[in-house]
Amino acid sequence: MSSMGTTTFEIVINLVKTVLIFLMMVQAVPILVWLERRGSGFIQNRFGPNRVGPLGLVQLLADAVKFLNKEDFVPDKGNRFLFYAAPVFALIPAAVAFMAIPMSTPLTVGDSTFLIQGYEVNIGIVFILGISAMAVYTMLMAGWGSSSKFSLMGAMRAAAQVISYELALGLAIVGVILVYGTFNLTEMIVAQQGPLRFSGFGFDFVAPTAFLPNWGIFFQPLGAILLFCAAFAESNRLPFDLAEGEAELVAGFHTEYGGFKMLMFFIGEYGHMMIAAGLMTTFYFGGYGIPGWTTQEVYAAGLSMFGNETAASVFNTAIHFLSFNIKFAIFLWIFIHVRWTLPRFRYDQLMDIGWKTMLPWALFNTILTATVIFLASQYIIG
Amino acid sequence: MLETSMFSEIGLNHYLVLSALLFTIGMAGILLRRNLIVVLMSIELMLNAVNISFVAFSKYNMNSEGQVMVFFVMTIAAAEAAVGLAIIVSIFKRFKEVNIRFFEHLKG
Amino acid sequence: MSMDAVLFWFLSIVVIGAGLSVVLMSNPIYSALSLVMTMVGVAALFATLNAYFLAGVQLIVYTGAVMVLFVMVLMLFDLKRELQAFSRGKITGFFKIAGVGVLAGLLVGVITFTTQKTSLIAEGSPLAADIAAQAASGADNTKILSENLFLKNILGFELLGVLLLVIAIGVVALSRSKGGTHARD
Repeated sequence: MSSMGTTTFEIVINLVKTVLIFLMMVQAVPILVWLERRGSGFIQNRFGPNRVGPLGLVQLLADAVKFLNKEDFVPDKGNRFLFYAAPVFALIPAAVAFMAIPMSTPLTVGDSTFLIQGYEVNIGIVFILGISAMAVYTMLMAGWGSSSKFSLMGAMRAAAQVISYELALGLAIVGVILVYGTFNLTEMIVAQQGPLRFSGFGFDFVAPTAFLPNWGIFFQPLGAILLFCAAFAESNRLPFDLAEGEAELVAGFHTEYGGFKMLMFFIGEYGHMMIAAGLMTTFYFGGYGIPGWTTQEVYAAGLSMFGNETAASVFNTAIHFLSFNIKFAIFLWIFIHVRWTLPRFRYDQLMDIGWKTMLPWALFNTILTATVIFLASQYIIG
Repeated sequence: MLETSMFSEIGLNHYLVLSALLFTIGMAGILLRRNLIVVLMSIELMLNAVNISFVAFSKYNMNSEGQVMVFFVMTIAAAEAAVGLAIIVSIFKRFKEVNIRFFEHLKG
Repeated sequence: MSMDAVLFWFLSIVVIGAGLSVVLMSNPIYSALSLVMTMVGVAALFATLNAYFLAGVQLIVYTGAVMVLFVMVLMLFDLKRELQAFSRGKITGFFKIAGVGVLAGLLVGVITFTTQKTSLIAEGSPLAADIAAQAASGADNTKILSENLFLKNILGFELLGVLLLVIAIGVVALSRSKGGTHARD
């Protein structure tokens, strides 16, 4: 674990940064909701919210005011403590896991260096998996605490779904860990810099142009697909949103919730979506890296442009932050687009896909990756 | 005994005492509770207590065998919990109760 | 007080408090949720002992899988507050608590009075310097752990895999059975 810094300046900046990243996650949610509603309108050939403010952008503010004015309702036979605790706990795992994803190159101001992430964990990916596994308790607490059949059934379904797909998710990540040989997300991103380079079996292939970056997707295509599919199930999004199959279960584990508590579940769900998009970017699409330029080259360009090390570092960080966010936004849009394009699975189909299709393929991917890495380092052809 | 260094300097003993306390709490749970699931949970508590002392020994002796042992204990604990819960579910199906006094039905 | 000491005392209070509430809460759901908190605390304790990988595994295996099973089973049973949460009998109960208390006292006493040193390794030996260096750097020992696991203890590791397979089959068989000789329907 990284320390919070030694001087007062570093500690203050680190604390502010942690709060800012949390706020960034929370503040991205209204934008995503707006994008989702307008996007669904676009896909379904209708308008979506377009009255409040320009393009309907202020709609969410109006919604938030409405949410805050709702009655604070607790079911009669429900468990009061769990009912109130569940929405709060929905935020924690999502926020804590999201903070461990590196979003840009470290920022150097004078003698101090700041990481553009909440904190660096050297077992990064294991930590994120472990923390986001705790999201299951939120659903179970909400489902049981609201003492309703729909809620309980929805919670059971959601929990079973999440822990089933966690296996495929974890095994897809094992391939990534084997390729990069590290748990640390920053080291993974550094390994993906430069043009595509495949060495092994006695020859060393480097892509002729810089436009083929050394991204993980070229080493782990199957793993990328599996991880992305499992991420849909993990964040309870369509086509895997069996937890809240409106046709059968009203709204799943948050049937009894309304107003601001409901909104907190929403933020948690979008948080998991953001973690999935961040992980896809980091593992398979070079993280904050820009194809064609390494971070050192960008830094050198900034240095020649501004002639000041601090300004160059700020430039470097800003450019890479932008690069990360573009990739991140593309994945978030794919999430939204899929939701309004594909129909929902049946529950037995969902379990079949998880256990009988994705788990064997993830196992196959792990074994294949391990075998190829072993052979590439052992045997030399020609 | 109560010097300030006991609070400010954390050593092997601190972790061992914590582990011992947690272990006895788990043991009290097994002896006192009648709900089978809570008894199983107390067993998990004892296993965790043992894991703490394994990891503490591993750190203070520079020997990673302790961590390997924790790995094995975790696997066994997961397996034990799965089997235990499966048995409890079948007991619940039969008696509609998971209280330990219903185990007297197991006599002959 | 160093950061390590503050962290240790905070975590030990969390772990002991949550552990006590596992035993003392009469609603089994609260017991299970307290146990989850204990597990998270133990994972954080592993991290303070530089066993970062084990901390992650503890989070994934215990809080992510084992405790979810417990909570799901409890919620399916839908047990409300139990009438007979604790075993009956004042005298036997007294003996049980007294026995546990004596055991706790003995263990803590033995630990505090026998090993006054912080480490089992002698002060001046080269290993002690290594330990101090490692503790200061907070280095990750995942690599050492994996080498030990896959080179020295590979047989045990494989046997655990076989055991897990047996357990998986056994649990499926057990939960699908209709009650054996006691079947009512």
